[in-house]
Amino acid sequence: MNAPTPSRQKVWDIPTRLVHWGLVICIGLSWWAVENKRMDIHYWSGLVVLGLLAFRIYWGFAGPETARFASFIKGPRAVFGYVGKLFRPDYRASFGHNPLGALSVMALLLAVAVQVGLGLFASDTSYVSSGPLSNLVDYETSEDITDLHEDFFNVLLIVIGLHLAAIVFYLVVKRINLVSPMISGSRKAENVEGPPTGIAPISWVRLGIGVVLAAGVVWLIAR
Amino acid sequence: MKAILFAAAAATALALAACGGGEPATPVEPTPAADAAPVTPEPVAVAAAPTGPVAMPEPTDIAAYMKARHENYEMLGKNMKVLQDNFKSETPDMAAATAAAVNVKAFADAMGAWFPAGTGPDSGIESEAKANIWTDRATFDAALTKLQAESVKLVAATDAAAFKAQFPPTGGSCKNCHDTFREEKKDQ
Repeated sequence: MNAPTPSRQKVWDIPTRLVHWGLVICIGLSWWAVENKRMDIHYWSGLVVLGLLAFRIYWGFAGPETARFASFIKGPRAVFGYVGKLFRPDYRASFGHNPLGALSVMALLLAVAVQVGLGLFASDTSYVSSGPLSNLVDYETSEDITDLHEDFFNVLLIVIGLHLAAIVFYLVVKRINLVSPMISGSRKAENVEGPPTGIAPISWVRLGIGVVLAAGVVWLIAR
Repeated sequence: MKAILFAAAAATALALAACGGGEPATPVEPTPAADAAPVTPEPVAVAAAPTGPVAMPEPTDIAAYMKARHENYEMLGKNMKVLQDNFKSETPDMAAATAAAVNVKAFADAMGAWFPAGTGPDSGIESEAKANIWTDRATFDAALTKLQAESVKLVAATDAAAFKAQFPPTGGSCKNCHDTFREEKKDQ
């Protein structure tokens, strides 16, 4: 068999990329909306974040290999092992998230979950708009949660900042562009781990279940 | 397939937790009634019903005056919370909503007198009241007149449909004034 070696390794499936860029857009939009007193936009944008998050959690179990929590969350040994080989000449890029980056992914997902969760119970001072679940908490609690929602955005920014710093580090120091695969889905298949062709095609049934579940979570909360 | 079932179960659990977990805490909703007819809501005494405005002291002690004003606005917020919770409810407790609407109107009628000279940012005391309340009094008064007009309509809206139609413009008249005359909370 002398089939030509594929030159591109597929690392990110389309749903994972859409969730990623959807979060980028919606978190940015949510921030813009609140700064410009557009709480109507903030409300819907926040609900989209919730849906994306719900889908991503599901996809962490049902998605392709590089999207699965079980395949990329590693213990401290693997994390330190990865850091140790980072500057070795035989370094090969991980297939999907590396063990250190996995911690960043989990921190990002957790921070977004906390932020959107707080937002569900928050309320503005004019009572024009409020999170869809604000009626489940009393006045003081909603006020406190609103303050936390405002303050926690800074935590989210720090985690996003670390994520961006890591991207710059790989680009400048390791000469590895992490942004381009998150757009195109694939990368050059040299000095990489994992199967040369990368991830298998996604299952449409699984995708459909995920979309219904995510929409269902949002609907149950916002109705 | 095992993984997908697990994921579906996990996501369903998440959805149920998000929805079912909160239900018992709902303060204003009585047991869901299938019919849309107004039902007498069970009095659920979760917290004491908010009151109308408390009489303001003489502005001799500026700090005490501003504190009393702040507390009055907090109480107004609690009334608005009752209204908003009922606005979100499928079966609003119209007795509670109307009582809160009457309170809101009382606040709207009283608060025009709550901004005597010296009780703004020039007092040096932390406040969300912006200086333009005193320099652009005509606009401030117009915003207040708008709130008064909307709160009169809110008090009159005693059936659920009318109430649900009138609550957003009432809140809108709060926002209308806040956007111009209220300082955003600063990050500590």
